[in-house]
Amino acid sequence: MDSKGSACSNPNPNPTFGPSKLMLAFRFLRALSIVHRTTPASSPTCRGRRIERAAYASMAYSAGTSRAWSRAVLRRLHHRARRRAVAPRRLSTTAGNRAEALRRLVPGGAGMDYCTLLEETADYTKCLSMQVELMQGIVDSASSNGR
Amino acid sequence: MEKERFFGVNWQSMDAGMPPEMNSGAAAAAADQLPNSFLNLGWEQPMHHDVHFESALSSLVSSPSSNAPAGNDSVIIGELIGRLGSICNSGEVSPPSRYQSTNTSCYSTPLNSPPRLNLSTMDHQQQGRGGVPVPGNQMAAGKFSPFAADPGFTERAARFSCFGARGYPGLGGQFGLPEAGKLSRVSSSQSLKAVQLGASDNGKEVPVSEPERPETETRSKFGGEAEFGNSQEASSVSDRMTAVGAENNARKRKAASKGKAKGAPLSSSNMNPPKPSDGEKSDAKRCKPAETDGADKDAAVKPKTEENGDVGRKQGEEGNAKPPEPPKDYIHVRARRGQATDSHSLAERVRREKISERMKLLQDLVPGCNKVTGKALMLDEIINYVQSLQRQVEFLSMKLAALNPQLDFNMETLLPKDMHQALGQLPQQVYPLDMASTAFSYAQQLQGTPLQSLVTNSLDVQGSLNPLESSLRRPPTMQLPRLDGFADATSQLGNLWEDDLQYVVQMGLGQSQGTTAFSSQSMPVE
Repeated sequence: MDSKGSACSNPNPNPTFGPSKLMLAFRFLRALSIVHRTTPASSPTCRGRRIERAAYASMAYSAGTSRAWSRAVLRRLHHRARRRAVAPRRLSTTAGNRAEALRRLVPGGAGMDYCTLLEETADYTKCLSMQVELMQGIVDSASSNGR
Repeated sequence: MEKERFFGVNWQSMDAGMPPEMNSGAAAAAADQLPNSFLNLGWEQPMHHDVHFESALSSLVSSPSSNAPAGNDSVIIGELIGRLGSICNSGEVSPPSRYQSTNTSCYSTPLNSPPRLNLSTMDHQQQGRGGVPVPGNQMAAGKFSPFAADPGFTERAARFSCFGARGYPGLGGQFGLPEAGKLSRVSSSQSLKAVQLGASDNGKEVPVSEPERPETETRSKFGGEAEFGNSQEASSVSDRMTAVGAENNARKRKAASKGKAKGAPLSSSNMNPPKPSDGEKSDAKRCKPAETDGADKDAAVKPKTEENGDVGRKQGEEGNAKPPEPPKDYIHVRARRGQATDSHSLAERVRREKISERMKLLQDLVPGCNKVTGKALMLDEIINYVQSLQRQVEFLSMKLAALNPQLDFNMETLLPKDMHQALGQLPQQVYPLDMASTAFSYAQQLQGTPLQSLVTNSLDVQGSLNPLESSLRRPPTMQLPRLDGFADATSQLGNLWEDDLQYVVQMGLGQSQGTTAFSSQSMPVE
């Protein structure tokens, strides 16, 4: 395990544990395969957006609905599926308060009190780092073997 | 008023152990001041001096560490008490300036020059503060300490304080003015304690029990002259005390009510309360450390009303004739500090603790956050980290999308079937694993088992993991003959999943100490 993995495996003080990385990997790979199957390879940006959305969706699904950020991501995903909006990337300009910046970064952070926001930030950061690790592993494996 | 004066004269004459010439002198001084009593209406101001004298007298009585005075000292003190008694009886109605001058002279003639200076300064302070009691009483206690250990003096002082407690509520009851409450507040130790208890919630019942002892004592001393319903007066004192808060400015009242919890144990610990009898004195000595301990315990985190109630109850148990030490400066400081004990501040403190705990958690999560100090910098670091992670996800998804079609072929051919197959059989296996791991970690958290049992349990978990791992590893190895050229990729994916498995186990353990043990045990397995 690399350092990031060990950083991810810090004990969660909450009784509900974070998402298992295995489930996250399965979900993401399945979503990735679906994206690769359904989306033509002609438009890499559209595919990239879909992959990114799939990444967030897999994160949120594996995190479950007990977290506010995962609920927000899923809600936004459903809305976006209807509205066909852009990727769940947020334009976060660190203007004004730091807490406001964090609120804008963490999905569902608007209207959250500060304590809950920190808690959600912790969980979201953990899941996000896990996801990044997973994607990095896939990209590394694919790029090292694909060429 | 006539009755009060009569009380004073009677008390002076009844005072045992007092030389007759001193007694007569005190009576003459009292008679000198008697005609002035009809002229004056501003009798609010002398009461503050009375408070001052009360506190000074109690400090006279109180300080336990002192050399024994000579016999003439006791005589002087007897005269002092006599004059004080006359002042207390007649000075209620005497003009303030004259009263002050007589007071200072009365105090300074028996004593040396430093107490006189002290008294005059204290008088000025009291005038400047508008009758607010001054913490200079400690200094007065230090100055008056040579006279303290005389038992006869303490007894006389106790009688005096008892009389004061008797007299001023009677006065207040006679006049029924709002100032009367104030007067009785500052008049004597009992009424001052009534103030303290009136500040608390259950203060109404305790002062009733308090002045009953002075009542009995004054009855024994004065031969049944104390005819007043003391309990009624005490309750009226407490009632008036709640009304006096409206008369004073609100801040002072708040400060008093908040600072009593601190101020009362301080005074009780510093000053030995003059008791009418020796047995009660020993009782007071016995219950004093308990009171200070309880007050210290109370002063920590408890809400204000509880604190006051506790202290008030203890004071009520301690009994009467406790010398008042109302240090106003303490009260002010305490008021500012005591605001941290109301419910809002407590909730705020809980919230802050929670936030700091979350911050600590985030500090563990975010790399490089251990080095920065301060919440703002930590928040900056966290924000940067989350932003970088989101950008990384974006970048990696773009990279995944832009990967060459071999990967797509790989993903399409390899993963969907196997993933569907694996996912078809995974939920039955992963979820029990998760349940087992979480249950295991719960058990580990609950029992606090040492590392050995942790390792053995982890062996069990590992054993249960093995079929799952084989099932997970099986699809890539089965795909190997079909997909030539991607063997390394699939093996790496397998390695990735093994890492995931390892990570699942680690998460199930929830402990960083299990990392080494698991890595050392999961290696021979595969």
